[in-house]
Amino acid sequence: MSTAAAREFLRSAAKKSADLNHRQIIRRSIDHYNAAVVRGRATFADWEAARERCHEIKQEALNNLERYLLEFEQGVKERGGQVFWAENSAEASQYITNLAVSRGVRKVVKSKSMVAEEMHLSAALEKAGIEDIDTDLGEFIVQLRKEPPYHIVTPAMHLTRKDIAILFKEKLGDVDTDEPQELVAAARRALRKAFFSAEMGISGANFLVADAGMIAITTNEGNDRLGTSLPRIHVAIAGIEKIVPRLQDLALFWPVLASAGTGQTITCYNTLIGGPRGLGEVDGPEEFHVVLLDNGRSELLADREQREVLSCIRCGACLNACPVYRTVGGHTYGTTYSGPIGSVLTPHLRGLNEFQHLSYASSLCGACTDACPVKIDLHHHLLENRREAVRHADRPLSERVGFKIWSWTMESPKRFAMAGWLARAALRVVNAAHLDGSILDPARSWAKNHAPLPAPKKSFRELWGKANGTN
Amino acid sequence: MAQTDNASRQRILARIRTALRERMVQPAPVPEKLIFPRVVDALDRFQKECAINITECVVTSDLHARAAGIKGILASLPAGDIFVQDSPELRRTATEFADGREIRWSSEGPPLESSQATITECEALVAQTGSVLVSAGCGGRGASIVAPVHIVVATIDQLVPDLDAALARVQSRGTVSANSYLCLITGSSRTADIEKILVMGAHGPRRLIIFLSQS
Repeated sequence: MSTAAAREFLRSAAKKSADLNHRQIIRRSIDHYNAAVVRGRATFADWEAARERCHEIKQEALNNLERYLLEFEQGVKERGGQVFWAENSAEASQYITNLAVSRGVRKVVKSKSMVAEEMHLSAALEKAGIEDIDTDLGEFIVQLRKEPPYHIVTPAMHLTRKDIAILFKEKLGDVDTDEPQELVAAARRALRKAFFSAEMGISGANFLVADAGMIAITTNEGNDRLGTSLPRIHVAIAGIEKIVPRLQDLALFWPVLASAGTGQTITCYNTLIGGPRGLGEVDGPEEFHVVLLDNGRSELLADREQREVLSCIRCGACLNACPVYRTVGGHTYGTTYSGPIGSVLTPHLRGLNEFQHLSYASSLCGACTDACPVKIDLHHHLLENRREAVRHADRPLSERVGFKIWSWTMESPKRFAMAGWLARAALRVVNAAHLDGSILDPARSWAKNHAPLPAPKKSFRELWGKANGTN
Repeated sequence: MAQTDNASRQRILARIRTALRERMVQPAPVPEKLIFPRVVDALDRFQKECAINITECVVTSDLHARAAGIKGILASLPAGDIFVQDSPELRRTATEFADGREIRWSSEGPPLESSQATITECEALVAQTGSVLVSAGCGGRGASIVAPVHIVVATIDQLVPDLDAALARVQSRGTVSANSYLCLITGSSRTADIEKILVMGAHGPRRLIIFLSQS
């Protein structure tokens, strides 16, 4: 069945892929990224060994997920932090908004968190009458535009400095230039006020470190550092799959994340937080809460074929590598996680029926799999999702009947030859009658965007037979 | 409110347990391959990495030379107070480097937004990436992020070859368990969110300066 999400995907994909301006902006950004990644990888002696080791560590983490989560929880509790386990987005949002309301919080500063997007946390906070300000520059920009992030790592990838200049002039008022330096300074001024007046900081977590009982956050801007130092409450949200067993593992994951995410040797700030302000410490929040979100992840863990998808570190490399993503753009997916990883993950998080079309938003070229720093076999998972969709989700009657006829035809050389002859004859008639592209044209989906196919005189089998003298 | 033993906890853990009745095939351990090139000359590498990530690294012979260096930097900054980690060593040399500025010591509370610079010690320096590892013990969480200039004082014995050694050091010395907060800092705050153009000083310091004493 063509769902509303699928129809919207096709509509937006057609529009975006014809938008040359959009394609140029994305191409420039990703060219920039590609050049940086070459430099980033050059800092490794053996990038393949790094990928294999990351894969191995993440498998180990998932294989022992219960033990490591409990170890992490124990560590946080020992330092005076709280850990809340949420089965779904609603429960997690409820916990955070209740906490905020009960502590008299009126303003929240948020640093980049894809899980917060997944939970639609902003909407929940707004409903509770709490102001929430995104502090990562890219997120701040898309929040001012009331848009979701375009990309996991680069939320405002689709905007030019001119777009941002117009936005800032209108919304911030104290800046009237398209110089990136000045625009960043304007955002800094606006956000400094927010950091020093907010009562709660909300962050994501790139990793949950089991043996240290700490969360690890990676940013270049340092917004997470202000947001987790100044407000009196810090809430970190993370999916339960974010575990790494040992602090030592970050000696590998930090450079790998940076290299795959932005092409840097290492990201500017890699922060570790284990609790609220400790005894004798100068500053820090009075309260530290970690919200561990399941939201379909434990069900994905039960899927033996696909559970490795949970080792994703959200670097965004597969988005940048994907020819479909680059053409249709991040917003077309209509999902929190876009690109290949989003296409694999979303049917598990939000339902196979509604999001099965994403499994087809791929050419199966495998560029995503090659790019993945933790070696997730992404394009095979897309194929597996297609298979699951055929098995379990609603497929149109025409498709089911069509494939029955197709397989019946393919089982016999005679029937195959006959079908070929029929198709060529039909094409000739359609082309002669100038009906190409009409409902009668067997190649009409091709003809939509291409010149009509000339009908070949002879079939491949005839040509082959002639060339080999067996006919 | 905020009870941590919530009902969902049991349900999630039970689902994980059931899900993992059949474990994933654990890949054969990757044979010990060299993932990062070995760091041969730590100081040389550290200086090169600092140059790449736009950290100013000043190697000084003794504490007096260091104090003079800090004084020179402070002299170039706009008027205003500075925030300094309250450590015996920084206390001792304060009159030498302060350049007549008012000092807010970390023992008096976190840095003010008006601070022109912060001066702190660190837990380790990492040659592999040209990074500084600080903890809450180095003047607090805000000390290395609030002011536009962050000055770090370090000694050569704090320089370790790579990230692996740095994390091993803070774990084995109890720094991890003794602090609620650690941060590995590499260069100063930056963003490339606008057309991938690099802009320094997004939210944190625009300048990171490391004074490395060889004694």
